[in-house]
Amino acid sequence: MTTSDGGTVKKVPTYCYQCVAGPDLLTVKVVDGVATEVEPNFAAAEVTPSAGKVCVKAFGLVQKLYNPNRILTPMKRTNPKKGKDQDPGFVPISWDEALDTIAERLKAVQAKGPNDSSGYPRIAASFGGGGTPTYYMGTLPAFLSSIGPIDFGFGSGQGVKCYHSEHLYGELWHRAFTVAPDTPNTDYILSFGYNIEASGGVCGVKRHADARARGVKRVQIEPHLSVTGACSAEWVPIRPKTDAAFMFGLLHVMLHEQRKRLDIPFLKQRTTSPYLVAPNGFFLRDPATRKPLIYCLERKRAVPFDTADADPALEGTFKVSGIEIGADDDAWEHRLEKVQPAFQKLLDHTSEYTPLWAGRICDVPHKVIRRLALEFLDHARVGETVEIEGRELPYRPVSIVLGKTVNNGWGGFDCCWARTLMACLVGALEVPGGTLGTTVRLNRPANDRALSVKPHPDGFMDYPMNPTDKAGWLAKPDVRNANRTLIPLVANSPWSQALGPTHLAWMQQQKAPEHWPQATPPDIWFVYRTNPAISFWDTDQITAVLAKFPFTVCFALTRDETNHFADILLPDRTDLEGLQLIRVGGTKFIEQFWDYQGFALRQPVVEGQGDARDFTWIATELARRSGVLDKYVGAINRGAAGVPLKGEHYDFSLPPDETPTVEAVWDASCRAASAELTEGAEDQGLDWYREHGFRLAPFPRVKWYLYAAIEDAGLRFELPYQERLMRIGKQLGRRLHEHGISWWDEQLEEYDPLPEYKHYPEMWEKALERNFKVDMRDYPFWAVTARSMQYAWGGNAGIQVMREVAENVGGHGGVVLNAGKAAELGLADGDLVEVRSPLNATRGRVVTRQGIRPDTVLMIGQFDHWATPFAKDLKLPSLNKLVPMLIDLTDSTGSGADLTRVRLTRVEDRR
Amino acid sequence: MTRYVMVADLERCVGCQTCTAACKHTNATAPGVQWRRVLDMEVGEYPDVRRAFVPVGCMHCADPPCMHVCPSTATGQRADGLVTIDYDLCIGCTYCAVACPYQARYMVEEPNQAYAKGRMRHERQREESERRGVAQKCTFCIDRIDYGHAHGLTPGIDPAATPACVNACIASALQFGDIEDPQSNVSQLLATHEHFRMHEELGTDPGFYYLWEGR
Amino acid sequence: MSVGGKPWLQSHWDWHVALNFLTGGSGSGLLVVAALGALAGYPLTVPTWVGLLLVAVGLAQVSLHLGRPLRALSVLRNPRTSWMAREAYVAAPLLAGAGLAALLHSTLLGAVTGLLAAAFLYCQARILKEARGIPAWREPRLLPLILATGLAEGTALYLLIVIAVGPAGAQFSSAVLLLGALVLRYATWRGYRSALRGQAPRAALRVLERAEAPFAGAGHVAPLLLLAVAAGVPSAQAPLAALAALAALLAGWGLKFAIVTRAGYNQGFAITHTPARGAGTGGLGSKPGW
Ligand SMILES: Nc1nc2c(c(=O)[nH]1)N[C@H]1C(S)=C(S)[C@@H](COP(=O)(O)OP(=O)(O)OC[C@H]3O[C@@H](n4cnc5c(=O)[nH]c(N)nc54)[C@H](O)[C@@H]3O)O[C@H]1N2
Ligand SMILES: Nc1nc2c(c(=O)[nH]1)N[C@H]1C(S)=C(S)[C@@H](COP(=O)(O)OP(=O)(O)OC[C@H]3O[C@@H](n4cnc5c(=O)[nH]c(N)nc54)[C@H](O)[C@@H]3O)O[C@H]1N2
Ligand code: SF4
Ligand code: SF4
Ligand code: SF4
Ligand code: SF4
Ligand code: SF4
Ligand SMILES: [Mo]
Repeated sequence: MTTSDGGTVKKVPTYCYQCVAGPDLLTVKVVDGVATEVEPNFAAAEVTPSAGKVCVKAFGLVQKLYNPNRILTPMKRTNPKKGKDQDPGFVPISWDEALDTIAERLKAVQAKGPNDSSGYPRIAASFGGGGTPTYYMGTLPAFLSSIGPIDFGFGSGQGVKCYHSEHLYGELWHRAFTVAPDTPNTDYILSFGYNIEASGGVCGVKRHADARARGVKRVQIEPHLSVTGACSAEWVPIRPKTDAAFMFGLLHVMLHEQRKRLDIPFLKQRTTSPYLVAPNGFFLRDPATRKPLIYCLERKRAVPFDTADADPALEGTFKVSGIEIGADDDAWEHRLEKVQPAFQKLLDHTSEYTPLWAGRICDVPHKVIRRLALEFLDHARVGETVEIEGRELPYRPVSIVLGKTVNNGWGGFDCCWARTLMACLVGALEVPGGTLGTTVRLNRPANDRALSVKPHPDGFMDYPMNPTDKAGWLAKPDVRNANRTLIPLVANSPWSQALGPTHLAWMQQQKAPEHWPQATPPDIWFVYRTNPAISFWDTDQITAVLAKFPFTVCFALTRDETNHFADILLPDRTDLEGLQLIRVGGTKFIEQFWDYQGFALRQPVVEGQGDARDFTWIATELARRSGVLDKYVGAINRGAAGVPLKGEHYDFSLPPDETPTVEAVWDASCRAASAELTEGAEDQGLDWYREHGFRLAPFPRVKWYLYAAIEDAGLRFELPYQERLMRIGKQLGRRLHEHGISWWDEQLEEYDPLPEYKHYPEMWEKALERNFKVDMRDYPFWAVTARSMQYAWGGNAGIQVMREVAENVGGHGGVVLNAGKAAELGLADGDLVEVRSPLNATRGRVVTRQGIRPDTVLMIGQFDHWATPFAKDLKLPSLNKLVPMLIDLTDSTGSGADLTRVRLTRVEDRR
Repeated sequence: MTRYVMVADLERCVGCQTCTAACKHTNATAPGVQWRRVLDMEVGEYPDVRRAFVPVGCMHCADPPCMHVCPSTATGQRADGLVTIDYDLCIGCTYCAVACPYQARYMVEEPNQAYAKGRMRHERQREESERRGVAQKCTFCIDRIDYGHAHGLTPGIDPAATPACVNACIASALQFGDIEDPQSNVSQLLATHEHFRMHEELGTDPGFYYLWEGR
Repeated sequence: MSVGGKPWLQSHWDWHVALNFLTGGSGSGLLVVAALGALAGYPLTVPTWVGLLLVAVGLAQVSLHLGRPLRALSVLRNPRTSWMAREAYVAAPLLAGAGLAALLHSTLLGAVTGLLAAAFLYCQARILKEARGIPAWREPRLLPLILATGLAEGTALYLLIVIAVGPAGAQFSSAVLLLGALVLRYATWRGYRSALRGQAPRAALRVLERAEAPFAGAGHVAPLLLLAVAAGVPSAQAPLAALAALAALLAGWGLKFAIVTRAGYNQGFAITHTPARGAGTGGLGSKPGW
């Protein structure tokens, strides 16, 4: 196409994966070689759940590309002193110097041996939120995998601060990293702080807008009226961190007041509700087969759970015999013992959790809690079915979902359990209209949830727990956050390290807990697309640690708070400059449910700026210069770049002895991708993908619903009773105590077969009082945080247009405070206040709103930048200075929450 | 007869500002200039609070005060209802801006520049210098509409003939079309939803409708 | 700009534009009075020169601060509907007429100029009234106020001039005229404020509320008292009358300045309903700032 004045106009297809709600497809208008406009990819309108559209953040990419603050040549630090107050004295250097310096260090490490005196990898690498950097870092993973063990355990909050408990229990019960409503089919959604209109990206927003048009009822339960609360039929302002009580109240109504309306067949056949629980709390088992027993009402005796046409009892007490197997294979024999089905245990367990009890804890009228439980049942349509692609499945259009701070930190276990259990009670788990898992990450294979369903002898899904038995337990942590040692549930997939209790890695740099190796800093630390100095808790402590790392290599967009401590800065080609092919489609978090799957290309829409280089080029050069080229190419051939280059129908492998060009790598990947999608029939390469941008094949909708796979495998969901977790917890406890470690005891308590409500707000208050010797009455507010649709964490805070449009949405750039409360305190909009927690203080301007609890203040996002150009001039407050890293506030999955208590003092009147 | 109007479904709108940003891209407007923007309105008192997101911009009024007051005839009105500004006639008196009850008009003197450090390539690529020192506002993407007519496309249906903010809206909250045609997308929406127009009492007959509940 | 849709102070018309309403209003007012004076047989040269100067200064201000000053003449393109265009059409003959009248000391031309000046003043008043985006301006009862204060300011100036350069004979009659003008002005001001009640954003009404005391006090009560005293104290008559005139003049300027630059809150935004969200129902609307 040519413009009126004879110039040329191109529309280049590419993808955006700036946030975890992606990827989404777009086109970029390029006029005379200059990128001018982001537009939807109309060609993808019919085949993508986003209708080919991208969200507001994608419109920041042009300014990101041409941002005058970008770092466009490699740089090295000239000031050996590191510190927030130190000028790093970065000076430009050549790529050769930069890469050779790094390669030298790498060779030195190889020579010394990959692990240091404490047994930790000498090389560490950190990547940012939700794993999205993977979709920008080309073949860097291939390089990393070829230079031996790497510590991925220094996090920025992804994991421990976000959906951490959810990630682990989601994988256990849903085979999924996160959990979502079946929005297109559901009629009723209970949302506990699931901030979908801010965090769900294009797909989330579109699916829920369509659902509203259908008349869905969504109830948003959270302390402030978020954009999601705004778009919900009802807002219930709950006291922070009391969600578990709320959900237990809901369970009580369903179990004790409405039992007849539950999906009894589902509970009997598809859950472990009938499994008999022996006196010591473990399942009663058949001595011969060791299978858990159920009590058959027909046969009037206990039979193995998988006995055909048994009619299992859910309630009652029965005198039966069997064996019980506990931790470390402790075994008991029981003769005609009184035992009860797990479901009966559940009934007894929840009998005290009445709405009245819950209402007082949550500061919500108990009538509301009971009403919501009844509405949930009213919409459940227990007994109905629907046909999906010829397959008959239960139809249960009720769902329940959790957001950040609800599904992580203490209470996260209770909430995830209660959430999935509520779905079970009405048979709405993993069925059309119900509550669904999204993407599998910790289980294998990572690209197909259904195939990850493997049977456990006890009749539910198997799970790759990290061993806790004497022989198998990893007594000496192999990475600094000790994920496999402390967190059995975190498994051992490539994602597991980043999902460890990553704050342990930081905390131990200061002081190791008792009987634990003193953690060492990594000899080399690689950082890309993450900013722990801004994003983590107690950011002052983080920066203190960063200053001690001997050699830090940061891929750098602009200067930022983390690369302020770098020794080498490497400018990478950004979103609109780099070349990469990724898998798209299927089901992905947050609400990416596709009817297709396949591949999409990210390509340079214009030539790279300055001397920024493509990630794949950088990775290849690093591999070559540090002498691991063959391993690197081998890794690519095996699929480290996303697609195995050799399959049963095709072979596009790269020669391991040659240095591949960037185009060669991705051309081979494109060909392999085409071949994979067509069983070898076609092999279109890079040029085809450059022109078309994406290639898809149908993805059966029945795969959205794990229930189908469970039914096919004749398995049950592992609810309500967590016998396995109890056993693991006991074993882990023994292992730790054998090593004299008692600082994890509170975490061990959480391995309950049925979660006990602990007064979570008090846990925070007590922990703060204990650790900081303060009186909570001096800190009258809860401080919470929330997402912004316009920002991807703090990652695009340096982009002017994002700031400009975000300003239209209330709450940005300030301390959000209840208007009535503000008046009471004599505070007005725009007043500058100091927000002080027992740990530290931050400053911001007051934003008064009606839509927030009087006992809560909100600080959106993480924007207290002090080095990132543009962002650092905004002078915004952040919760991250205020929230401490404490073992006491770490749950058994190793996660905490963005939550603390604060007080406000006026510093200056409005400008 | 044709009258193009915009319809915003307040039930769908989530205030994401994708439309705001899309307009800024398409029209290369200066920092701070938002021909389309979306308000965040809170109604009521805690705990009985509602929050609504309200897209605003030029309403392309049928009886536009901005045009009546314009001394230079720069502001005009087309048969299809679009209210236009002739940048070459405008003297920059901003009388129209104070005459508009919808705060839809802007005037800026400086060229686009988002960062103090220097102007970016795309900013230089699209100077839009004829727009400095004169009134500017939402055009309803007039050039797209005219392109559509020239190529037999239907504005509001075919993306190439549809306003950028409408194309970009991720919630399909914004719709555009001919209200005179009872079969059009917008007429259908108005027939099936409760709706209002802003400041109707001022008699400007705005061409921008807000849906607030299904019928 | 506001997140929540509250009206904010318009920033398009700053003090440059305001000045045109100040000097232009007083100047045209003065030219009207000068014409009357001329008909009554008083010399018109000095007041006409002053009036012309004031009007010219005002017009110069606005045209220099147009976004595109070089295109200033295009202001003439739309007399059909635009009162700003009409003002420009009146301004040209007004300035010419005034100049000639002053040069030729022609009572007839003076009278014609007086009529044009009245028309000019009327245009200014209409310009504000047609600014439909600004509630405090579009109120019809602002029109008489602008006319009245223009005349009052003109009379005050005329009185100052005759005190300064004579003829002394005109002093008494112009003082009486000023009295009348002030009574009229205050009446129109009250009329304007009562009509505006509930018809403008709260912030704008507060500005006018705050203007009441100084405007009434310095602009009306003080001049009336001063003139009364002056009547009684022949020795200090001139300075007292001059003081009264000055107060009346400045008060008029102060008020117009406040109305244009400080009460100029825009309409803001409003919704008649908040939307239903899914199974929810629509709710009450809102008109923030009103
Ligand atoms: N636009 C955008 N989207 C994103 C991201 C982004 O940065 N930008 N980040 C992605 C990532 S990594 C994550 S982890 C997700 C997070 O996605 P979400 O969890 O959906 O979003 P948040 O807004 O972080 O937190 C959810 C809500 O929790 C509420 N809340 C806080 N404390 C409590 C509590 O004690 N109880 C209840 N009921 N509610 C509480 C807050 O008010 C907030 O509205 O978003 C993802 N999507
Ligand atoms: N207060 C508060 N803190 C939070 C959260 C919260 O809700 N509130 N959420 C927590 C959660 S859930 C998560 S997942 C984490 C995420 O936290 P992080 O992973 O740290 O995410 P970002 O802050 O976006 O850091 C991204 C960094 O990458 C840089 N960057 C962006 N694009 C590019 C690029 O193209 N190339 C290069 N080289 N660099 C680039 C940016 O400048 C920025 O410094 O934050 C956690 N922290
Ligand atoms: S939701 Fe927005 S930012 Fe996230 S990937 Fe999609 S387009 Fe990009
Ligand atoms: S893009 Fe659509 S949903 Fe988002 S703010 Fe604009 S109109 Fe509302
Ligand atoms: S909205 Fe304002 S600018 Fe647009 S036509 Fe109406 S009056 Fe004119
Ligand atoms: S600014 Fe331009 S468009 Fe507006 S009234 Fe003046 S001349 Fe007309
Ligand atoms: S119609 Fe066009 S000009 Fe108007 S707001 Fe939408 S994108 Fe901007
Ligand atoms: Mo996250």
